[in-house]
Amino acid sequence: MKNSIETIWKEGFLNEKSLVVPKINDLYSQKSKHLVDKIKRMFKINIITIILVALLLPVIYYLIDAIWQGIGISILLLCTAWYSKKQMKSIKALNQGATSYDYLISFDQWLKNALLKNENVLRFSYPLYFLIVMSTILSAWSKQEKLITKFSRKYPDIVFIGDIPLFTLIITVIGTLMMFFFSRKIYRWDVKLVYGRILKKLEETIYEMEKLKEEE
Amino acid sequence: MSSDFYQVSILPFSGIIIKICRAYTNSQEDFEDYYQEVCLQIWRSKDNFKNQCEWSTWVYRISLNVCLTFLKKQKNKGQMYFSSDVLPNLITVENKAFKNESLNQLYAAIKHLSEIDRAVILLYLEEKPNKEIANILGTTPNNIGVRVIRIKKRLKKIINEKFN
Repeated sequence: MKNSIETIWKEGFLNEKSLVVPKINDLYSQKSKHLVDKIKRMFKINIITIILVALLLPVIYYLIDAIWQGIGISILLLCTAWYSKKQMKSIKALNQGATSYDYLISFDQWLKNALLKNENVLRFSYPLYFLIVMSTILSAWSKQEKLITKFSRKYPDIVFIGDIPLFTLIITVIGTLMMFFFSRKIYRWDVKLVYGRILKKLEETIYEMEKLKEEE
Repeated sequence: MSSDFYQVSILPFSGIIIKICRAYTNSQEDFEDYYQEVCLQIWRSKDNFKNQCEWSTWVYRISLNVCLTFLKKQKNKGQMYFSSDVLPNLITVENKAFKNESLNQLYAAIKHLSEIDRAVILLYLEEKPNKEIANILGTTPNNIGVRVIRIKKRLKKIINEKFN
C-alpha cells in the first residue's frame, strides 16, 4: 500500500463535484410499494389463519361432542376467508401505473371501502358466532342431567324452559342483540388490534406526501 | 420537499451523504434508496434542528442513523449482507462506484468493518475531531482515538492482503 488511507481518501475525493447525486424526484416509490406489500402480506396471513382455525374447530368441537356447532363456526369462518380473498383480488384493479401518491390514495380508499363492507357483513356474523357459542354451552348443559336436577333443587324459583334456565335464554338474546348493535365497534377494535400500526403508518405516509406536495 | 430546502440544506452536503451511503450499500439500487431515505429524514427532522451543532454534523448524524437502521432492517429480512469473513475478494462492477481505483479499494476494505467501525472511520476521514465523532456516536473521545488506530491497522492489512 503506497499511500496512507487519509491520502487515498483526500485524493479520491479531490474532485468531489464528480460524485453523482441520485435523483430524488421519485422519493416515495419504494416506500409506498413496501407499505402496500406489507399490508397485503398481513391480509394474506390473516386469511390463512382463518382457514386453519376453520379446519381445526370442527375437530375440537367433535371432541367436546358439539360437531354441528363446530361445523357452523367453520362454515362462517370459511365464508369470511372467501369474502376477504375476493376483496383482495380487487386490489389488482388499482392503478399501479399512477404516481406513488395516487396509488397510495387509491389503496387507502380501497381499504376504507373493504373495512366498511366487512363491517356490514360482520353485523350478522358476530351475532351468529355468539349464538353458536351459546348453543354449544347450552347443549353441553342439557347433557348434565344430575347437575340440572341439583341446580333446580337448589334454586326452585328459577323458571326453566325444557332443561334451560330462562335467564340464560334472556342473556343469549340480549348478548346477540348487543353483538348486532356493537358489531361495528368490536370490528374496529379488532382491526386496530391487528392492523393498527400499519394503518397508522399508511395514514402518516399519505399525510407526509401531501405536505411534500404543498411545499413544492 | 421544497426545491429551495433541497438546494440550500441538502445538496451542498450531498458529498457527505454519498460517502456514507456508499459505505453501507453494495449496489447502485440500494445506494439510491438509502440516499433518498436520508434526504427524506433530513427534511422530516429539519424542525428538530436547534443549532445545537453544525448543520453538517446534523447531516452526518441522520445519514448514519438512516444507514444503520436500513441495514438492520435488511438483515432482519435476511436480505443481502455478507459478514466480513465472506466479503468477496474482488471489487465487483457494482462496487466500482468511483473513478479512482484506490478509493474503490478503500471502500471495499471499509465494508469489511463492522457497522460502527465504518461510521468511525468515515467521520475520521472527513477530519471530524474525536470529540465530535464521540458526540455523534455516543461514546468517549478516548474510545474513538483507540478505535481509529485499530481500524486503520485493519484497513491497511485488508488492502495489502486483498489488493496488493
